[in-house]
Formats: sequence, structure tokens, C-alpha cells
Amino acid sequence: MEAKKTLNLTLKVWRQKNAQTEGAFETYEAKDVSPDASFLEMLDSVNEILIKKGELPIVFDHDCREGICGSCGFMINGNAHGPQKSTTVCQLHMRQFEDGQELVLEPWRASAFPVIKDLMCDRSAFDRIIKAGGYISVNTGGARDANSIPISKVNADEAFLSATCIACGACVASCKNASAALFTGAKISHLALLPQGQVEKDERALNMVSQMDAEGFGACTTTGACSAACPKEISLTNIAKMNREYLRASFAQKEEVAGGDLA
Amino acid sequence: MLEFLKSTVGRKYLMGLTGLVWMGFVLTHMAGNMLILVSAKAYNQYGHAIVSNKILLYGAEAVLLLALITHVYCAITLTLKNRRGRDSRYAVTPNGEKAPSRASQFMGIQGSLILAFIILHLITFKYGNYYETTVDGVVMRDLHRVIIEVFHIPVYVIWYVVCLILLLFHLSHGAHSVFQSFGILERKMQKGLKKIAWVYAVIVVAGFLSQPLYVFLIHKK
Amino acid sequence: MSIILDSKVPNGPVETKWQNQKFNMKLVSPANKRKHTVIVVGTGLAGASAAATMGELGYKVKAFCVHESPRRAHSVAAQGGINAAKNYQNDGDSIYRLFYDTVKGGDFRAREANVYRLAEASVNIIDQAVAQGVPLAREYGGLLSNRSFGGAQVSRTFYARGQTGQQLLLGAYSAMMRQVDLGTVELHARREMLDLVVVDGKARGIVVRNLKTGELESHEADVVVVASGGYSNVFYLSTNAMACAVTATWKAHKRGSYFANPCYTQIHPTCIPVHGENQSKLTLMSESLRNDGRVWVSAKKDDLRAPQDIPENERDYYLERVYPSFGNLAPRDIASRQAKYRIDEGFGAQGEKAVYLDFKDSIARMGEAKISERYGNLFQMYDKITGENPYKMPMRIYPAPHYTMGGLWVDYNLMSTIPGLFVAGEANFSDHGANRLGASALMQGLADGYFVLPYTVGDYIANTKLGAVKTTDDAFKNSENEVNKEVQKMMTIKGSRTVDSLHKELGHIMWENCGMSRSKQGLTESIDKIKKLRETFWNDVRVPGEAKDVNPELEKAGRVADFIELGELMCRDALTREESCGGHYREEHQIDGEAKRDDENFAHVAAWEWSGSADKAQTRHKEELKFDNVKLATRSYK
Repeated sequence: MEAKKTLNLTLKVWRQKNAQTEGAFETYEAKDVSPDASFLEMLDSVNEILIKKGELPIVFDHDCREGICGSCGFMINGNAHGPQKSTTVCQLHMRQFEDGQELVLEPWRASAFPVIKDLMCDRSAFDRIIKAGGYISVNTGGARDANSIPISKVNADEAFLSATCIACGACVASCKNASAALFTGAKISHLALLPQGQVEKDERALNMVSQMDAEGFGACTTTGACSAACPKEISLTNIAKMNREYLRASFAQKEEVAGGDLA
Repeated sequence: MLEFLKSTVGRKYLMGLTGLVWMGFVLTHMAGNMLILVSAKAYNQYGHAIVSNKILLYGAEAVLLLALITHVYCAITLTLKNRRGRDSRYAVTPNGEKAPSRASQFMGIQGSLILAFIILHLITFKYGNYYETTVDGVVMRDLHRVIIEVFHIPVYVIWYVVCLILLLFHLSHGAHSVFQSFGILERKMQKGLKKIAWVYAVIVVAGFLSQPLYVFLIHKK
Repeated sequence: MSIILDSKVPNGPVETKWQNQKFNMKLVSPANKRKHTVIVVGTGLAGASAAATMGELGYKVKAFCVHESPRRAHSVAAQGGINAAKNYQNDGDSIYRLFYDTVKGGDFRAREANVYRLAEASVNIIDQAVAQGVPLAREYGGLLSNRSFGGAQVSRTFYARGQTGQQLLLGAYSAMMRQVDLGTVELHARREMLDLVVVDGKARGIVVRNLKTGELESHEADVVVVASGGYSNVFYLSTNAMACAVTATWKAHKRGSYFANPCYTQIHPTCIPVHGENQSKLTLMSESLRNDGRVWVSAKKDDLRAPQDIPENERDYYLERVYPSFGNLAPRDIASRQAKYRIDEGFGAQGEKAVYLDFKDSIARMGEAKISERYGNLFQMYDKITGENPYKMPMRIYPAPHYTMGGLWVDYNLMSTIPGLFVAGEANFSDHGANRLGASALMQGLADGYFVLPYTVGDYIANTKLGAVKTTDDAFKNSENEVNKEVQKMMTIKGSRTVDSLHKELGHIMWENCGMSRSKQGLTESIDKIKKLRETFWNDVRVPGEAKDVNPELEKAGRVADFIELGELMCRDALTREESCGGHYREEHQIDGEAKRDDENFAHVAAWEWSGSADKAQTRHKEELKFDNVKLATRSYK
């Protein structure tokens, strides 16, 4: 096969030493980039050159490079994960770009996601939202036979679509309010759609929304930017579902009576 | 309950609820005002009927005022929280497929202008020039004359039209997102709701627009 | 001096071994459990499930992961599914059949008792996952759906579209986060284990580097569980995630934990081919594609025609030709090797290192819609990566390193040769023999974490006198000093070679000589080459930045240093194993291109003991394998 035409690009990359210091843009050239390379492989090559020149390589989070672990993610020309729909930046390939283009790379910007270094930020707020109730309380052992809980295919599929969230943070990053409603909504919906999730659904909705607010994320104003940026195309209906669950939980939640037996 | 009202989700419910009150109001307000296209008599009679029942009037005004204050209060507090959520801005704004809808981006600015409009609107009409007229033996305010006068001032008409266009976006986004905030959005409804919201907003705004344009262009003083 | 390793497999028939063992184990009282700390390194399926379950039991658990969040562990990337002997399809499956298939699939190099226990636990895993809310695929009637996978003749694979690993991991992760909320599990993210601390011959803690600050931290415990995954990244290009490393297990190995069967690696047949020098990793396409796709190459040598220009009668559907009864569904090791033969002989797709996987016939038979429903997301992924539309032209595929069956040696209780050090999931060697069947990795990780370790760890604690240790003790300080010295050494070399370039060089040596096909000559030469590479590394590596900072290059350097040492051991292991079995294929031991096992001399596990220095050859120990239930036979898929 004939050799494909390579690209030359100008990168304006956000460099920031740590959370305490101010960052700034630095300009780098990416030369002879293969259109078959992924975006991160292009950055790898830039880094190899930086290291050889005695400069510090650009730091970014990444791991599986298959679009499933949720580690990678930054803004490319204002778009979370770059211009291609339903794609993480590791699965974005250079054939999406044109020779001579200038690309501006910025980290996710949200108060709840402080920058650690360069394009890497701290998304542990998501873990704390899950910790607040994104689970079904079932200990290991003693689970009943899996087929004794029939679940309609429609609900199972819908729950699956909500559960595909990879917690990359693109929703927060692309939202003008840095709202985590899509992330939180997806987990609340996933579990609320399944019979196993019914028992705790009220507490789950209340606790997860409360944690989401406490982490400093903004409110949803239904701009739809989150869903547009989401590499897994999580639907806005998840936010609606969260709101509904939250409303019901707020009014329907029963007061816990003090426990204790007579023994 | 207090938790609910303090949460972002709860506040969005409040905004949606109060927004709905005003959505209902602007629709009926627009429908009633269409009488201007019928005759001065009909218009003035309609205006008189509304102010005649004081209990109903004050009741309605109180509800509207309360809704407006709540709506604005929630908007301000949420906007402040949202600003805190995004403490630094991006150098480049999104474009292409991943860009959010424009109407949703400027709800705050639209809202502020619309608030200014409401206040000015009340000053001009409700608390504006008082003329009297007699219709079928009943003495009443000649609102029709005020309208005709005001809508012949070009600057006012332009301001009115601009504000109405803003209202169009504000209503279309609000009418759509209220379903989201209330949690009644389902996958299959997504596209339909957006359309319904637009149809509603266009009807309201087109109705309102027809009035000054009719007066300014067709109705002589 | 070679010692015979004691697998501690309990007596009795294979069906009742685990039941008896569970009953005979000592228990720790609930009041005492909270006094015992268990460290779990790694939060993939094995680690997260172990941490969650032991947290539920009441132990004080400390979980560590190199990622920012435990949910990002590489188990997340498993696509195809998880096996379980549920026999929901009434197609003749049973625990015994799953056991039998796994032993046979592993080419008779796995420990029977472990495999049987795995098959038993498989049933509970599905129940547990569903109870946690894992959205496994369902039929219209609301019951769970199954598919046939990886050459199995029954439909026993449960799945969640192409994201089974992610969904199961989120189940285990959420169970663990619940324990974090309840205070029984303490989470330490962005920490990399750089040493195992052994006190009085027992594993009592670890030293980790905080990847956010670069500081070293010590943590003490009564038991250390290592569930840090496999070492396919020794090949540089593999389907493993970038951070997958041997480091945690290698450090434990250097402290006395034997490393078993390092040469057993699995090369997955359906991966997207390499595109160029700068490629950083390979992407796997689920094996399920072979259910409907046909594998072929041109029948003419050095054929540069585009696939659509090659007429039907000039195509060689070689898997169907060589293995008429299994055809395109031949097991992974066999399918990979056949692809290699075709390419080595000059039949590669348009002269490249790839073969075709064609859906033309299936699309003609079932329609594009049906194919899209089954594989839509995979086709989309392929299109995204290669820019080619697989509905219109055949996919190009090539084998890639994917899974490592070898790992730290463990006994039946999953305890290594260091008391108190338990090893779970891909990090241990125990269940897959010389080749792993599709959809069995998820099963093993979860079986170890949910259903084995919680029992065996308790038994160890109940039976062992564990004195108090503190991180201020000498053992911890010494470990910290050694780790610090190594880090400083890497930082101060300031040579001319980037870490990646050294890693690539290692990968190249390994892939060429210790990959799909191995020879005495190649392996002997490789050992020398790797030794030289080790010297180059320690004299000429360049690590930029500072040690006390976020420094991905330093992280990589440490991992590559360990891979280099491991690479040498893999070659040595492959060299000593004078037979072919499963993923280990020695050119000298074959019959017409098929693996030729030597059961008389090699029906054993080879476990290597660290010699105290990378310059000194390691000692090989044996654990003889006995097959009381599955009759040793030549594995044939023809």
C-alpha cells in the first residue's frame, strides 16, 4: 500500500506544574504525524522529543487506550475529547485533523476537578459520589439464583446504557456550569431501573445528589453539552430520571425508627 | 424538605414550577391582548373585566409576583453556584457537533433583560397614562388608547420586539427543560418535546409581536 | 537444590475437596476480624472483589491501585463475557464439563483441584453479579442470555454487550465503595507497590510510591493480597493497558515468592494489526467475532491485490481447511499460530502482517441489521481505529499478546511461597495451565476474590501467630531505603535512551523469540540480548523531571526495569520447557505444526526462585501435576 500523507500540527498545550501554581500555554510542533496514529500516540511522539531535548514531557492521564477505562480526557479546541462524537481522546485518530491545523489542549476545568499537572486532573469527586450510594447493599454469598429475578429486556437494556458511563468527566468539563448531573443521573438511573435497586432507591437518590452538590459541581441547565460530549452517548433522560427519583425520595422517604431488639 | 429546597435539583424544580406559572400567564395574556385586533371596545372591556374582581386580581398578582421572585432568586443562587463550579474558563469555546444549544447558554442574560422588560412594561401600561372611556354606559380605563400611543413610538416598538425575541429563546428553552427538571423526559419523547416547546414559544411570541406591529404599521392614531 | 512444592490440595474426590476444605478451615471470630488488617494491591476484578468481601466480613482492609480511581483497573477492558456452568440453556453443561473443558483447554498444565473449584464458584459469581445490579444481557422473557464463546460447544457465556468486564468491575467496585462508605475499606488510589515487606518470614506490609507526590509510604498488615494483573506488556505492544506491569508481583518475587510458568503467555488471534513505529498498544476485537466471521488469506503467495479483488476460489479459509470440526472457532493459541504460519509463508494481507476476517457471507445470510445488532460496537471501534468499514470490506486482524497464564506460584489456598502473601487473579498462575479459554479470566478473578480468598485468608490468620509490627520497624525502613535508592539511581543516570525506546527494544526481542513460536537458538540469543539491554538500561536511561513529583516517566522506568528482568526469566523458562503446550510452542517439539506435549517429563509446574541478584540465574523448582479425573490426551480440534 502507498504511504499515507503525514500531518504537521501546531499544539498549544496547557502546562501547569501543580494545583498551587498558575498554568500557561506553551507551543509545540508535532511533525510527520501518521494519520493512523491515535491522538495520544501523537502526544507520545512529542514527549519523546521533549525528553531528548531535556524538557519535561506533557503529563496526561491515560491507560487502556481502548476508550473504556475513562482515564484519558482533555479539551481539544474547546471540545471535550476532541471533535469526533462518541469518542474518547485515546480513540481519536489523527485522520480527523488536517495538515497545518493549530490545536489548543486544555485540561478539564472545574472546581471539583482540580488540575494535578498539565492536562491531568483529580476526578476523585466521582468516587465520592458513588461511595455515597451508587451501589446495591448486598454482601457476597447468599445471593439467590440469577434467573429468579426476571428483568424485562427493555429495562435491562436501558439500565445497561446508563451503566456504560466510564466516569471520564467529559460531561462536567463540557458543561458551562461544571455540573455532574449526567454522571450522577446515570448511576441513579441504572440502579433505579432494576428490581434489585428498588429497596434503597430513595436513600440512594438523596445521598448521591447531596454529595454531588457538596463536591461543588454546578446545577443542570439542560444545555445538552454533557450528552453531546459523552463518549458513551449517555442520554439526558438520565438527568430527568435523577430529578424524578430525587423528588419522589424527598417526599416519600419514611423516617427511620430507632432499632434495637429486646434481647 | 429543607434539604430538597436547598439542593440544586430542588431549586430546578422550583424554577420549573414558577416558570410554568409564568408560561401559563404569558399565554393567556397574549390571547387576551389579541382583542386589540378586534376593536377598542372589546379590548377595553376585557381589561376592565380583569381589574373588576379585586380578590382575583390581587390573588393572581400575588402568585405571579411570588413566582417571579422565586424564579429570579433560584436563578441567581444557582448561577452563583454554577460560577463557583467552573472557576476558570477555557481559552477556546466548543464548536461543531459538541456545541450546546445557543438558547441554553444565555438564559441568565435573557432572563435579566426580560426582568427589566417586565418592570418597564408595568410602568408603561399598568401604571402609565390614565385615560377614561365609557363603553355601554360603564366608565372604564381607555387602555386601548395607551397601547396605540405607545406602539407608535418607534424606539419602544424596537425594544419590545427585541425583548420578545429574547422571550422566544427563553420560553423555548424553559418549556423544554421543564420536562427535564421535572423528570418527565423519556427517550422517545426527547425530540417531540423540543418541538412542542418551540411551537408553544412561537405561538406566544408571534401573538405578542402581532400587536405592536399591527398598531405601528396598520392602525392609524 | 530443587525442592518439591506442596500444593496443599486437600484429599478426597475432586467434587468435594473445596467443601471439605471450607469445613476444615479455622474461623476468625467477628470481634477479632476487625483487629486484623489485610492489604489488597490492585482493584481489578480480583482485588476489588477481595477487598469488598473481606470488608464485609469485618477485616480492616486497605486497598491500593495505581489508577486515579479503582474503577479504571484493566479488567474494565474485557469484552466478551464470563463463563458459568449454569446450564440455563439445557445444552448439557455442568460444573464437571466446565472443569473438563478448562483443564483440556489449558493443555493439561493446570492443577485439577483449583480448576474444579473455579468451575464450582462460576455459578455463584453470576448470582452475585446480578444481585449487585450488573446489567447482563437478557432475553425477552426476562431471563439471562448466553452465547457460545471461544470454541466451547455449549452456550455458557454471560455477557453485557461488548463490555462485560466493565460491568462486572463496576459491580465489584461499587461493592468495595460501599465498604469504603461503611469504613471497613480504606482506599489508597494513585499508589504503586514498590516492595513487599517480609518480617520473620511472613508478608507484613508493602512500600508504595504516592504517584501524586512521589513520596514513599509504608503500610503494615497481617496479610498482603497481590492482585495486580498480568505481564503481557513485557512485549511492549499488547492489548494490556499502559500501566499494566509486573512490578508488584516481581517485587514480591524478589522477596521470595516463586514465579511459576512465566513462559505461558496467550496471544489473542483477533487484534487490530500494527500501523506503525509509534503505535503504543494493540486493540483487541472480541473473539465473539469469529462466531460469524470467516478467517482467510489469499491462496497465492505475495498477493498484493485488495481483498475485494481476490475471487472466492483463490481464497484460503485456512482454519476451516485445517480444523474442519472447529473451523473458525479453534482455540486462541491454535488460531494465532495458524495466522503466524500463513504470514511467515508470505500469504499476509496485501503483503502486510495481517489476515482477513470476513463477514461477507454472514451479512449475505442474515442481513446487515443482524450483524450490526451483534457486533455493531465492535465494527464501529474498528472503523474508528482503522478508517475502514468492515461491513464493506473484510477486517484485517493479527495476533497480539493478551493474557499471561504464568504468575506467582500459589498453593490451593492461593498463598504464595511467602506465608501471608496471597495472590489472586491474573497475577497468580493457578487455573489456566498453558492456555486460557475465552471468558475464563473474569471468572477466575471474581472466583478468587469473592469466594476463595475470604475463606483462606481467614484460615491463615486463625492459624498463625502474628506479632505486632509498625511501619517504623527496621524491616520497613530498610525496604523504603532500598526503594529510594533504586528510584534515585534511575533519576541520576541521565543517559540518552528514553524509557519507551528501551521498552520497545525489549518488546521486539520478546515478540520475535518468546512469542507465538520459540526455538532453542532464539531463546538462548535472547537471554544474552536481554542481559545487554539491562546493562544499557542501568547505564543509559533518561528519566526527566523529579522523583518527588508526578512523574510518569519514572513510573514507566521502574516498570520497564522489572520487565527486563522478567523477560530474561521467561526466555529461560521457555528454554527449559522442552515441549510444546498451549501458548508455549517450541519449534523443536511439534507434529505437523501442532504442539507436541511431553507428559512424561513436563507434566509439572515450573516455579522459579529468585537468586538474590539479577546477574545470577534463578533456581527452578517443580510441582508435579496429577490428573486423576481428566485423562491426559492429545488436544485435538481437527
